[in-house]
Amino acid sequence: MTGRLLVACCLVWLTTSAGRGQTPDDPLTLVTRQDRRPLPTMRVDGRRMVAVSQLAGPFQLTIADVAQPGRLTLMRDDRVIVLTANEGLVSVAGQLVALPSPPLERDGEWYVPVDFIGSALALMHDEPVELRARSGLVLLGAVRVPQVVVRYERSGARSRLRLLITPATEHVIEQDDSRLLVTLDADALDLTLRDVRPDSLVSDIRGVDGAPALAVDLREAYGSFAATTQAALGGAVEVIIDLQPRPAPVTRAEPRQLPREAVERRGADRPAGLEGPTAGPTVAVPGEAAGDASLPLLSELAPRREIRAIAIDAGHGGDDLGTKGPNGAFEKDVTLAVARRLANRIESELGLRVVLTRTGDHTLSLDERAAIANNDRADLFISLHANASSRETATGAQVFYLSLAEYGDQARDAGFTGQLVPTVGGGSRVLDVVPWEMAQLRHVDESARWAKTVADELSLRVPMSQRGLQQAPFRVLVGANMPAVVLEMGFMSNPDQEAQLTSTTFQSAVVGGLLQSIVRYRDEVVDATGPVPLLDATSPESTGRTP
Amino acid sequence: MRRDYWMYGLAVVAVIGIWVLFIGLPRWYPPEGTSTAAALPPAAAPIVDNLVPATLFYISEDGMRLVGVERRLERQPDPAAQARIILEAQLAEPPATLLSPIPSGTALRAFYLSGQDAFVDLSAEVALGHSGGSLEELFTVYAIVNAVTTNVPAVNAVQILVNGQEVDTLVGHVDLQHPLARNLQWVAEPDTPASPGPVDQSDPL
Repeated sequence: MTGRLLVACCLVWLTTSAGRGQTPDDPLTLVTRQDRRPLPTMRVDGRRMVAVSQLAGPFQLTIADVAQPGRLTLMRDDRVIVLTANEGLVSVAGQLVALPSPPLERDGEWYVPVDFIGSALALMHDEPVELRARSGLVLLGAVRVPQVVVRYERSGARSRLRLLITPATEHVIEQDDSRLLVTLDADALDLTLRDVRPDSLVSDIRGVDGAPALAVDLREAYGSFAATTQAALGGAVEVIIDLQPRPAPVTRAEPRQLPREAVERRGADRPAGLEGPTAGPTVAVPGEAAGDASLPLLSELAPRREIRAIAIDAGHGGDDLGTKGPNGAFEKDVTLAVARRLANRIESELGLRVVLTRTGDHTLSLDERAAIANNDRADLFISLHANASSRETATGAQVFYLSLAEYGDQARDAGFTGQLVPTVGGGSRVLDVVPWEMAQLRHVDESARWAKTVADELSLRVPMSQRGLQQAPFRVLVGANMPAVVLEMGFMSNPDQEAQLTSTTFQSAVVGGLLQSIVRYRDEVVDATGPVPLLDATSPESTGRTP
Repeated sequence: MRRDYWMYGLAVVAVIGIWVLFIGLPRWYPPEGTSTAAALPPAAAPIVDNLVPATLFYISEDGMRLVGVERRLERQPDPAAQARIILEAQLAEPPATLLSPIPSGTALRAFYLSGQDAFVDLSAEVALGHSGGSLEELFTVYAIVNAVTTNVPAVNAVQILVNGQEVDTLVGHVDLQHPLARNLQWVAEPDTPASPGPVDQSDPL
């Protein structure tokens, strides 16, 4: 009995002491004009902290020799920081700054949360101080560290490397036998690698230690590359590098001679910024092009319609509770939780911009929601909801896109001619003026396409209604000037579904389906040409009727 | 004698003309909408004892569709009065075994007819007592729209008002800024599993 008690006490002590312990964490990287160096961090009581003694050198801080228990004073020139143990507010040059957690004093060493660097130390310096917590970088001084998001896509025989560089930065692409090197005119790179998996052409994609460069390690099957550069939103630039496999050796057939005129025409058609497959260092400057008839045709490299931003509308909110489940869950809370999860995953896994129509418990009109998506230039719009029925047995998710019947057949084909409007400073310009009621009608074919993609992906992960894909005159869709759908994730009125809708597992499954639908729409549908046929109003899928 | 022949000839022509006008043409050219009305009781059914058949709409057993149920309502002299009677019946308590898609306590405040568009003014209970789901909101709206447009051929579309005011939606989904035309997308076929089962047709209104 005594032995068991002893073991239990040891377990309790181990558990509590583990929570209070401090262990080394991944170091930050301090980037200055002169060098890059690691800045050690610790995990103290579950929080990422940095020792004040580690900050003193690089940030030229002097620790005042004032022995006051529970208080530490830091000085730089005539500016002073006063830290108080276990108090989340610190005084910085006469200003109060809130920290996410209070400073700690352990065994004579002071620790502050890493956010202290960006919020407090930045006020002590005349030159810029920036903490990029996600990438673990601390930028001190006027250093140029562009964000580079790398995605590697494989579709059929084509491999494509996409680099989204923010802000736009001059770059050079070099190739030797075993690797492709993309070097930026910068002090360092804030690099994020997404969906990077080895394949038959590429063995690895990685940053280069000590240089503002990205290395693409190539396999033997690799043959050539072609690159284009195009402007992106927010002052960014996107570099697209298509990798081609080495062509199979020709054994018997005679090489086909293209007519001279055809060769010249292909050279002239090549898009701006195209680079030769085995050329030496080249700068992607618009207008520069190398001649090679084996390069892809213009149509393959033409800028396609991009998906850059997703608008997520958490249905209801504020005074508008939406539906209420039998066990008390509110629709407005479920939609907001799913919207936040979806936003996080889109940003972190797809690298796309997210527009949330609401981030808290706010009341918004339906037209305001569409207006937010329009003003922030979202490329896709999804409104999240949970359903309800007087029949407790009603169950399953449903995806809706706008029906045309309520707005007249002529509306769909309405032409929107530009109107001449005056501009500030004189002169005028032509603007497309689209009536609010007509905004979605222009996109309804694409909305149908995306709605079907969403329904397909969700059906693999969550229970769907027998009538999972429907058209309806939903007001929130009317003014959306982009492909738009409403998702009813399930029935709150069904007790089982209410429990599902409030669970992390179910919400993650919904988010996973939506994430994959965005990827599919981006990769497959946006590339395709021709509109998707709308649901036939008399078809069983549309009406739910049996033929 | 010749005059008698003329008289006989005119009589034959008159008989043939009357037959063509009142029997032949209606057979050769059936009224529009016959095919879509096949799934529902014909709006122009014969009048029996001053009652006319009308189709009202209720929630199916699985909660995923509306089902049409035939009732017999008092015949009225004009379309507006007929529509009011139909709406009163649609808003009333449903027959046993059925659920109404319209919240209990909803009252018809007014009904207007402007050309082929009707305006149905309902009391606030239609929104305040609603479950809040988009599917049920579709059922509420289209039960009203279809009840009027299916049974009163003079009405093409219906706009719903609440307390005399135009509204964006009832509970945040279906666009009510326009008159809505009949839509049978949400209505189950009578012989599908979603049908309501036996209904007491003698249930008084």
